[in-house]
Amino acid sequence: MQQLSWSDSELILQAGDLWTEATRSPFLDAAADGTLPEDAFRRWLAQDYLFARGLTGYQAIALAKAPRDAHRVLIGGLVALDHELEWFETHAERRGILLDERPHPVCRAYVDFLMRSAYTQPWPVLAAILFGVEASYLAAWSRLSPSGPYAEFIERWSNEAFVHYVTDLAALARRYQHADAPEAFNQVLVYERDFWRMAWEG
Amino acid sequence: MLHEALWDSCRDLAQACLDHPFVRGLADGTLDPAVFRDYVAQDAFYLRAFVKAYALALARCDEPAAAQAFHELIGGALQEIAMHRDYARTLGLDLDAVRPNAACLAYTDFLLATAWGRSLGEILAAMTPCMRLYAWLGQNLAAYAVPENPYRRWIETYSAPEFDRLAARIESLLDACAADSQEIRDAYRYAMECELRFFSAVMPPSG
Repeated sequence: MQQLSWSDSELILQAGDLWTEATRSPFLDAAADGTLPEDAFRRWLAQDYLFARGLTGYQAIALAKAPRDAHRVLIGGLVALDHELEWFETHAERRGILLDERPHPVCRAYVDFLMRSAYTQPWPVLAAILFGVEASYLAAWSRLSPSGPYAEFIERWSNEAFVHYVTDLAALARRYQHADAPEAFNQVLVYERDFWRMAWEG
Repeated sequence: MLHEALWDSCRDLAQACLDHPFVRGLADGTLDPAVFRDYVAQDAFYLRAFVKAYALALARCDEPAAAQAFHELIGGALQEIAMHRDYARTLGLDLDAVRPNAACLAYTDFLLATAWGRSLGEILAAMTPCMRLYAWLGQNLAAYAVPENPYRRWIETYSAPEFDRLAARIESLLDACAADSQEIRDAYRYAMECELRFFSAVMPPSG
C-alpha cells in the first residue's frame, strides 16, 4: 500500500478552485465559532441524513462492481455508514428533528447523480466518486477545531479512523483510473458546494 | 383514474410552465433564437435519457401488449430526436457534444436512477409528466401556430393528435401499472418541477 497522503490525489489537484469551493462554507465557519443558526443546523441534519441514506445504496451497488481487493474498504465503509445513520437518528430524536422530510432539490439531484452513476458507470469511476464524496467531507470538517456546541460533529468527520478510510479510498482511486473519473469527481464537488450553500441559505 | 388525479395535483406547475417566458416566447414568436438553440441542445440530451428509460421500463414488463405500447412510445421519442436533428442542422448545433446544464442533468439523472432502480409504476410516474405537459402546452398554443411564427413547427408537433395519443398511451400504462402512493405522487410531482426548472435554466423567469 502506498503511503501517499490522500490530499496529494491527482483528482484533487486537477479540480482546481472547485475543490476549495466544495470544502469551505460560511455554514462550516459558523459551526466552528458557535454562531450557526438553529434552522440551518436542522436543515443540514435532515438533508444530510437523506443523503447518507442515498450514499448507502450507492456504495452497495459500487461494492457489487468492485474487484476483490476493494472489498474490505467498501464493506468497512458500509458498516460505518450504518453507524452514521443510527447516530443521525439519535441526534434527530434528541433535538426533535423529523427525518422523513422531502429531499431538497439539491440533495435529490446529488443522490440521483450517485445512483445513476452506480448503475451505469464502471468501477474505477465509482471509486473516484466515492473518494470525492468522503475526501471533500474530511477536508471541509477537518479545517475546524473541534470545540463549541458542534464539536461532536467536527470530530466525527475529522477523526483518525475517517482519515484512514479516506486514505484507503485515495489509494483505490489511484490504483483504478479511468478517463471519465475526473469529470465525475468534479461533479461531486459541484454538488458538495451546492449542498453547503443550500444548508446555509435554505 | 390515477393519471387524472396526478395531473390535477400538479395543475399549479403546469400553469407555471404555460406562463413561463420561454413558452410565451414560443407562442408569440419573440423567443430569442439563441435561447431556443440552447433549449434544443439540452432537450436533445434529455431525450436520449428518455429513450433509455423507456427501454428499462419495457424490460420490466412480461406482457407483449405492454412491450407493444413501449415500442410505440420509443418510436415517438425517436421522432422527436429526429426533429431535433433537423433543428440542429439549421442552427449549426453538434448534438453529440452537448454538455447538460444543472437542471437537465438533475432531470436525466432522476429519470435514469428511477429507471434502473425503481418499480415500473415509479418509472411511468417519472416519465408521464413530460408527455402530458408537452401535449397540454402544445394544445394551449395551437392557435399561435401561424405561418409567420418561427416556432410554428414546435407548436404543431406537440399540438398534434398523434402526440396526444402517445401521452394517453403512457397514461394508460401508468393507470395499469401504478397504485396511488406517496412514492408515485413524489415521482410525478418532482418530474413536473424538473420540467419547470428545465425552462428556467435556458431562460430565467426574471430575465
